[in-house]
Amino acid sequence: MTAPSPSRPTLSSLPLPHPAQTAALDAKAISRAKLGDIGAFTEIVQAYYARCLRFARAMLVEPDDAEDMVQEAFVRLYRALPRYEERQRFESWLFQILGNCCRTANSVAQRNAARLVTDDDLLERIPAESRADDDAPNAWGDSVRHALAELPEHNREIFLLHYIEGFSYDEIERMTGVRQSALKMRVKRASDFLRARLSRGDKS
Amino acid sequence: MRNTRDFRDGADPVVRRAIDELQRLPAVADDAVANVVSAAAAARLLPPADEPVFPAPQRGWGRIALAGGLVAAAAFAGFIIRGTVTAPPGSPARVATTTAIAPVAYSTESAVVPIIEQFVFKAPTARRVAVIGDFNRWDPSVAPMARSSDGELWSRSIPIMPGRHTYAFMVDDSILVLDPRAPKTRDPDLGAEGSVRIVGRP
Repeated sequence: MTAPSPSRPTLSSLPLPHPAQTAALDAKAISRAKLGDIGAFTEIVQAYYARCLRFARAMLVEPDDAEDMVQEAFVRLYRALPRYEERQRFESWLFQILGNCCRTANSVAQRNAARLVTDDDLLERIPAESRADDDAPNAWGDSVRHALAELPEHNREIFLLHYIEGFSYDEIERMTGVRQSALKMRVKRASDFLRARLSRGDKS
Repeated sequence: MRNTRDFRDGADPVVRRAIDELQRLPAVADDAVANVVSAAAAARLLPPADEPVFPAPQRGWGRIALAGGLVAAAAFAGFIIRGTVTAPPGSPARVATTTAIAPVAYSTESAVVPIIEQFVFKAPTARRVAVIGDFNRWDPSVAPMARSSDGELWSRSIPIMPGRHTYAFMVDDSILVLDPRAPKTRDPDLGAEGSVRIVGRP
């Protein structure tokens, strides 16, 4: 398990992400990072950190662990970089690693919570624990995050990859090994659930 | 490479609004990227936590070659040794000391390169000692220290990224001992006081 970083300022006190943190990367940076260039690896982390943090917070049962999980994913990625093959899109590879980290962390967290859940319907009926986020003080944002947290993990992950991170079904199929028809069904179930949950919230 | 494609067109208006909310990028701590790079660089130089640090007999040559490579890299970079040995107050049984190995010259462009730091700990009665810190995820299995030939000292050199690091010594897998030569801090990682090592240019 990755230890938390020694000092972590509260997020509400931090400035908005610098544009460089979401900027596109050029392929040369990845090639240089493969050869061990730490400067190039830093460019990669800068380019993807905010998106990875966004994904991890939405995926994790314990969103407070998101920073640690993103760090764990980048550590794994850096270790594996020499074996990276350019025929796989780098971004897909990164989110594949991050998704694995998040799923593993979720299974550990759920085991620790000793909450026995046997099917998705039951999972959907369990009220989500507080997912209050310093970044989203607005009521709509809280509602969205609460609703998202109630989705089964396998539906939530595909929904996030497709709608939030912008991966096509074709790419997600290559990342997860799940067929596109099943992926579309998961996204549809997630969308239906969110629509029902959030429409109900709007009316109340 | 594109940043993020937009598939919202096919979504229901309520879901589209939720997607807009979820697409907001979170704020990123100033030191977040540096922490990740530091951890990744250290992890690539160190053996994985689930691998033994010391060579198994059948794999010895690989580890010996790695150790030789680190020594050669240190010699090539012109490392110098600085450090002192001082008895800690009120602890005659264990005397800890640290020796930092710092490069003579720094690159002004690429500041993020690991620096070999040596940790030395005097514990003649200990059976096992490991240096643990934020640079190795506080995992005692990552950096066990080696006992010197006279049996008095334990030592270990670790490549660490420049910056402020918190550490301690784990003795016999159960006793946490701070370095009396180093400043102390209350570190959230440890849940107790830890020793502080500043790695890099003072």
